[in-house]
Amino acid sequence: MAWHDEDSWLTAAFAPKLSTVAVALAVTVLLPILLHLYIYRRATPTTLPTFLLLGPSGSGKTALLTLAERAQAATTRTSTSPLAVEALLPDGLTPASSSYRSAGDPAFERARRFQLIDTPGHGKLRHYAISKLANPTNVRGIIFVVDAASVADETGLNEAAEYLHDVLLALQKRYTGAKTSKGPTEIPVLIAANKSDLFTALPPHLIKLSLEKAISNVRKSRATGLKESGAVLTADQGDLEEEREWLGEGGEGPFEFWQMEEVGMSVDVRGGNVVGTDGADVKTWFKWIADQL
Amino acid sequence: MLDTFEILTTSGVVLWSRTYVPVSSAVVNSLIRDVFIEERILPQSDDAGHKPTYRKDGYTLKWTTSKDLGLMFVAVYQSLVHLTWIDKLLDNVRALFTGLYGDQLKASHTTKLDCSKFTPYFERQIHDLEGSSDSTTPNVKLTPPSSTDADSAEESPMKAGALQKPQRPLYDTSADSTPVPTPDHSRPTTPAQSHLLTGKSRPGARLSRRDRKKASGISAMSSGDEASALRRGKSSIKRNRVWGEFGADEEDDSVVLDYSQGDIQDEASGADALQEVNPESWGHKTRKGEFVLKDLGEEMDQIISAEKSKSQSTGTPSGIVGSGLGAIGGLFRNVIGGKTLTKEDLAKPIKGMEEHLLKKNVAREAVVRLCESVERDLVGLKTNSFTTIESTLRTSMEKALAKILTPTSSLDLLREIQTINSTGRPYVLSIVGVNGVGKSTNLSKIAFFLLQNHHRVLIAAADTFRSGAVEQLRVHVRNLQELSKREGGSVDLFEKGYGKDAANIAADAVAHAAKNGFNVVLIDTAGRRHNDQRLMSSLEKFGKLAKPDKILMVGEALVGTDSVAQARNFNASFGPGRGLDGFVISKCDTVGDMVGTLVSMVHATGIPVVFLGVGQHYADLRGLNVGSVCRLLMS
Repeated sequence: MAWHDEDSWLTAAFAPKLSTVAVALAVTVLLPILLHLYIYRRATPTTLPTFLLLGPSGSGKTALLTLAERAQAATTRTSTSPLAVEALLPDGLTPASSSYRSAGDPAFERARRFQLIDTPGHGKLRHYAISKLANPTNVRGIIFVVDAASVADETGLNEAAEYLHDVLLALQKRYTGAKTSKGPTEIPVLIAANKSDLFTALPPHLIKLSLEKAISNVRKSRATGLKESGAVLTADQGDLEEEREWLGEGGEGPFEFWQMEEVGMSVDVRGGNVVGTDGADVKTWFKWIADQL
Repeated sequence: MLDTFEILTTSGVVLWSRTYVPVSSAVVNSLIRDVFIEERILPQSDDAGHKPTYRKDGYTLKWTTSKDLGLMFVAVYQSLVHLTWIDKLLDNVRALFTGLYGDQLKASHTTKLDCSKFTPYFERQIHDLEGSSDSTTPNVKLTPPSSTDADSAEESPMKAGALQKPQRPLYDTSADSTPVPTPDHSRPTTPAQSHLLTGKSRPGARLSRRDRKKASGISAMSSGDEASALRRGKSSIKRNRVWGEFGADEEDDSVVLDYSQGDIQDEASGADALQEVNPESWGHKTRKGEFVLKDLGEEMDQIISAEKSKSQSTGTPSGIVGSGLGAIGGLFRNVIGGKTLTKEDLAKPIKGMEEHLLKKNVAREAVVRLCESVERDLVGLKTNSFTTIESTLRTSMEKALAKILTPTSSLDLLREIQTINSTGRPYVLSIVGVNGVGKSTNLSKIAFFLLQNHHRVLIAAADTFRSGAVEQLRVHVRNLQELSKREGGSVDLFEKGYGKDAANIAADAVAHAAKNGFNVVLIDTAGRRHNDQRLMSSLEKFGKLAKPDKILMVGEALVGTDSVAQARNFNASFGPGRGLDGFVISKCDTVGDMVGTLVSMVHATGIPVVFLGVGQHYADLRGLNVGSVCRLLMS
């Protein structure tokens, strides 16, 4: 039979039959529900506040990450790829944003969750971290982990200072180069002096001083050093003079961390240790995280 | 013996490890650094049948990776010990671990993985492999520590269970000719194989164990009917005692039943699985423990064979319809993303990429290596949504280029000079290279840069061979002296004329500088062909006498494939323990975007590019900007 016949399927579909009405009803009711369920399932979970873990290789970034996740640091080796995990603020610490909530409040529990992103610290693999810094969506803070024992000697200090200088400069560029009138969100930096349980470790205030001094040196040698090849190789003869930016106060005088507050960064140095003979001591760092949440 | 076995993720978390002898974490870290990050040691392909090895501090490390899950399996043992079964162990453990925990590992945003259950699997693998490698010689280690005559009766049913495993191949081979044995085990007189087995288990003590080991060795190798006949004859004497002692033991009976079922299963799973089974595994376990282990072994074999078959089946296309649909889907996915990349998918784009890089003057060798490393990275990866294979390849190649060009350590010359000067001696920098690449020119450019930073520079003319070399430097020095009046700093020339030994002049220059308060010595050397052994051999003496803090090699950006050989030969010419510290790539302004020489040289030696010469003036010296070079190469 053809579609225009008396009892064809098309006629039946438009006829006032009970079955047709039932099917139409079912479709109208079920379709939105199914659609909702599908989209709801597919929807990405709400983005968590993120903290970036930076620092030279071997400073204890991955160990800190595992400690935050499972309350006990795992054995770790040199990382070659970034890693993101969800972690929960330990009991007894209240996120700054929910200091007036009661403990049983589900919103309170939700506020305690955050994401930690670990980046490889090896010199050749820092582009993961730098690319993350260039576009820090949802990044609430940066935890720069340094080995408190290794900054006591020249090479360790210089490596940490150079990396920190690059990180701070990237953040400053982001702040000063912002196009919107509102200005980008502030990203605080915590310098976590890890391994402070070791005998040779420097105390946090000394680390702060020596890092400031080393960063001044880095800035000075960058200023006197050679220009980079970029502009010469790419642009033919055009604008050879590239604009350079200097960290803090236009690059004059000794560098100090408070200068970064101008460009929306507060830098904090706190000591602690992820592994140790009498357990981890990371209270101060988690407290800092809680303050940013 | 194996010292340590570790399973870790690429993000650096050790998921599971077994330590027999504590090994410093620095050993594994240096493996990761040297092999995976800096790629100093190129991993050989797995096709050779051997896993790549890495030696460090008297340890030998073998490893394998599971790319899609981001896992590394590392075995560490003393270099003195020669372990043949490590390759097999790595393969088996990888198959087991991915089989057991593969799904859990795919969960994102977590590093938690409870691997405590993996230990017995691993132990079992070790036992199996050690056993199989030692089956020809009696192994003292495998004898159970506490097997006195008193508990031999207790042990015997356990042994009966264990015994069946070595017999299984025998059982299988004769299965075609003999009728299938009935599950009825209570009749001792029938000459079915199952009875034979229990009969064999009777001798209680060590002697029998040796026999069994031998027997298993024979059965594994020959597994002929003759062997089975032999054994039948031997065991028939003791058969009576078996059933006198254990006829009433119901549990033992059930065990036998159980294993006969296991036999059937194993028959189905094929010969491969059968070979995995080993008699030595019972070791020093209790009766209960043996049962557990037995199940474990079977499960393990199943997982391994499943993983193996999976990896095999992925290689073969599934029928005409499947491949047709697959091709359409593949095309679609190529555009829209979400395609799992295979070697075949990548072959063509990688070929194109190779051509592109060759056009950019990158040496063939470096291109091949880059493409291989990119391929290794990408095979098994899923492309992101709305990205084609080409663009994925492009970003991956850009990353590989950035990785190869990024220096490992800081290249801050000024800071180094400061550090060396603080010890009270002048900083010595020497420059080597092939003829006519611009050694003297770049030397004076560096001198100008140092003068700008108010250093007192002494230039030593150690090119005592080419006529005019000293005069050339004198002109440069005169120019620089004029400039330094404006810029600050001071510069002087140290020369001893022609025909003298360059190494001695260099040493004298350093002494002179120390006496007269110069804080930097720049040594110019004669140009030499890198494949002339006679000329190159004098460099070793030069290195020993002048003791330069930094040796830079000048290479021109114009050179093509030869750059690799140049870099290698110069790097090796200073004798063991000393190499180049960096490259100066000159004449970069003459090549446009064909800056491939940089990549070739760094690829050959792993030594960073410190300076680029980009023009004719003293100020035309630049540091390397990795990002812009990568962009140039990919454009």
